[in-house]
Amino acid sequence: MSRTDAVTRILFEAFPTAEVRLFYALGYTAIGIFCWGVYVQIRKYRRGAALALEGSVWSRVGDMIGNVLSHRTVDRRDHAAGGAHRLIFYGFALLFLGTATITLQYDILEPLFGIRFWQGKFYLIFSLVLDIAGVAMLGGLLYMMYRRGWMKLPKLDYARPDRSAGDPDFERPEYRREDWAFLWTLLIIGFTGYFLEAARLVWLQARPDVWDTRWWSPVGAAIAEGLGSLGLTAHGGGVLRLSLWWFHGLLALIFIALIPFTKVKHIFTASASLMVRDPLAAQRLPRVPETQTAPGVSKITDLTWKQLLNLDACTKCGRCHEACPARAVGAPLSPRDVILSLREFANATLESGTLPPAAELEVHGKSPGQVAMETLWSCRTCMACVEICPVAVEHVPIIVQMRRKLVEDGAMDPLLTKTLQTIHKTGNSFGESKRKRGAWTKVLPFKVKDARKEPVDVLWFVGDYASFDPRNQRVTQIFAALLHEAGVDFGILYDGESNAGNDVRRVGEEGLYEVLAESNISALAGATFNTIVTTDPHSYNTIRNEYPDFGGKYEIQHYTSFLKKLFADGKLEVGRPLGFRTTFHDPCHLGRFNKGYEAPRDLLRLVGCELVDMKRSRDNSFCCGAGGGRIWIPDPVGSEKPAQNRIREAAAIPGLEVYVVSCPKDLTMFEDALKTTGNEGKFVVKELIELVREAVPVRQAEALPA
Amino acid sequence: MKILIAVKQVAALDEDFEIREDGRDVKEEFLIRDLNEWDDYSLEEAVKIKETSSDPVEVVVVSVAAEEADESLRKCLAKGADRAIRVWDEGVEGSDPVAIARVLAAVAKSERPDMLFAGVQSSDQTFAATGIATAAFLGWPHAAVVSSLDYSPGAKSAVFRRELEGGLLHEVEIQCPAVLTIQLGINTPRYASLRSIKQAAAKPIEVKTLADLALSAGDVGEPGSHSRVRRMYIPDKGQAQLIEGDAAAQAQRLAQIIREFKGDAA
Repeated sequence: MSRTDAVTRILFEAFPTAEVRLFYALGYTAIGIFCWGVYVQIRKYRRGAALALEGSVWSRVGDMIGNVLSHRTVDRRDHAAGGAHRLIFYGFALLFLGTATITLQYDILEPLFGIRFWQGKFYLIFSLVLDIAGVAMLGGLLYMMYRRGWMKLPKLDYARPDRSAGDPDFERPEYRREDWAFLWTLLIIGFTGYFLEAARLVWLQARPDVWDTRWWSPVGAAIAEGLGSLGLTAHGGGVLRLSLWWFHGLLALIFIALIPFTKVKHIFTASASLMVRDPLAAQRLPRVPETQTAPGVSKITDLTWKQLLNLDACTKCGRCHEACPARAVGAPLSPRDVILSLREFANATLESGTLPPAAELEVHGKSPGQVAMETLWSCRTCMACVEICPVAVEHVPIIVQMRRKLVEDGAMDPLLTKTLQTIHKTGNSFGESKRKRGAWTKVLPFKVKDARKEPVDVLWFVGDYASFDPRNQRVTQIFAALLHEAGVDFGILYDGESNAGNDVRRVGEEGLYEVLAESNISALAGATFNTIVTTDPHSYNTIRNEYPDFGGKYEIQHYTSFLKKLFADGKLEVGRPLGFRTTFHDPCHLGRFNKGYEAPRDLLRLVGCELVDMKRSRDNSFCCGAGGGRIWIPDPVGSEKPAQNRIREAAAIPGLEVYVVSCPKDLTMFEDALKTTGNEGKFVVKELIELVREAVPVRQAEALPA
Repeated sequence: MKILIAVKQVAALDEDFEIREDGRDVKEEFLIRDLNEWDDYSLEEAVKIKETSSDPVEVVVVSVAAEEADESLRKCLAKGADRAIRVWDEGVEGSDPVAIARVLAAVAKSERPDMLFAGVQSSDQTFAATGIATAAFLGWPHAAVVSSLDYSPGAKSAVFRRELEGGLLHEVEIQCPAVLTIQLGINTPRYASLRSIKQAAAKPIEVKTLADLALSAGDVGEPGSHSRVRRMYIPDKGQAQLIEGDAAAQAQRLAQIIREFKGDAA
């Protein structure tokens, strides 16, 4: 045996037998507490409603491992935090694995099979790796402390927009204490580890197998040199080693025991949450199961086990809080706080041995842990929260399912009640006669085919706003003329079309949504066509992602990709490049919901416009405030509206000429916000269709109304 | 305890409607049907009484109408009515409010409610007569345009308020059973979710004929009515024109029109 082969980790050397036994007893106790905690948590999740996951488990596991190892989701929109977390994660994971390997040999492989691998070169390399891992972890932890203590990031401020100062759960200082306790515990475990290592080196400096290989633990060796130069003797090192050993070991055991009871559990819950992630969580809302007697979420146990798990995955990173348009304009909603409230509620009610009576499980209300209706109605279902959440918390389906209960109780704004009744009666939110749905075609010099009466290549699903809103009708007519000019064989459903239901569903009126979806699907079944095109991202989303659940499977495109193709095929040609300085507002339902980021930008470049993106663009686009049925609910007087907030962002672009939208509701919202923010005359709001029309010389010029 | 509510499915005009060939009504296909707005309030008032009462209260809605009114009756069931009765017979066609009231009174006699609510008026015909005529047939006390009500089911009397001209309120005590016609704004009618409407579709609607109520063909329709619609029409439009131009030109043109109107030579 060569000299390095003899090198191995010094474990219980010089320990009295009683102390070794004591340590094992404590170790098993810690593991026991950990297991009990895990059981309590799993029991909590199992008290939620049933849910069957789609797809293969292995691809879910693969995705989860990919996300966790790459830290892709943690990195987004906050690279510094992502980087620091990566250091902590890899540092901690390596240290944990290293320690686990010791157990593997010392307690399992060696006593049972006589296998020893924890020695020689393997040990030395491992020793080096773990020393570096410790540095990484401590570096990450120190940055996180700096971030919490000195950077004063608004997203880490736990004060709630849905509570006022003085409410018992307004600021939740216990969360801050827990954050700091977590950081300090890991930091102390890390530092004492190094000092323990150093003390051991000083203690055993006479043994060449230990001392000569000390630089394989560079941090420990450096500290040992320092301690030695301060006069620590071998005997002193031995004493220090024993006390640090116990301190470090006990702290680590306490940490392990507390994992299931503290935020540390995110190690498991966040990974599990990523594993059960639904990539269409906000795009395709859940149906009400046939067996469910009361619709929506009323009690905490009406949430599915997966949603209860989501609640526990939240690490309060505040990215949803930062991204939420309702929160940004001071509405009483933060997606983070909805999740935390429900989590506190679940922990208070579902962790005990017996389930409390149903009356104590009601999550609607104003008590701590409950969610107020004002909060739920503030949501625009824009998906900004779901999209950015690093641990796959799915806020929007939870909020909509809670709204279903409010709708059933009639607990909503009277104007919204009226609108829902109107949509039920007339099939559109404008209260117009069904017969007038195709009236916008009358001014066109050509006839738009009735797709119910003759086959068409392209079926154009027009949508409510594009059909009835006078300003949007002009855009609709231009789009018809462009299709006509390009020789597209297209038609519409006229009065066979109803409101697509996207927003009705997001309001939480699932019954009415079903009526609308079924009515449109049966109207589409009566038409012959190859593909659907729409100018309305809301209709686009629900037809694309939600109609399949009702038996309506179609190929559907938003007009931006359709027009792009017409240009590519030479059916439309740019005659007059426009040269405007523009910015583009990504509609939630086109961008975040359906990843249609490129087609509108390509079109803008195609018509010769300069594009200057706003800071909040693409996946971080800022909702106009109209989503989730909020277009039918008046915003509070005197407070900023999301659309105004957005127009102010655009107004900061020097020399901006055109604020470009590609959604009928956006046109309405932003033309209004342009006026109310006093930016009228500085730049204009235009539909992308209008810009295309300006750039394309149309032979039938008279085909286009002014 | 029981509250009976007379309801009607009314018609609203669609865009560009046309008058029927006989000239007495609008063509069916241009009408959009819905529950009369006033009836929504009287139903809500009854359901609220039921919900706050310690004794069981049965809320029964009744309509004298053809099958198409079932849609509105289901909406009433979805909003909390316990039962729905629809009375129909071919001969009812052409009934005026008094003939309809005769049928409603017959239903009230067999149901024996503690109180009968009706809307102040229907939004399509606006006679505002059915409720009060029903009270006349029953010989019950009655009051119209009730805007606030204090009533405990089974009590011998109820107190209600009515709004009078000049901002005055009229507080009245009335003996029960009585017929009250309910004004808009007395409460906030609840929203009937589509889910509850679908569930109500499973509840039966009791259909009665004239014979079931011991009425004859002569009690309804034109024979049983005191009035009949002669024609429904759009009056000739008056004349209006916008005078354009600047103030001086407008004034000159206006003076010219006045002179022409007076018959002065220009």
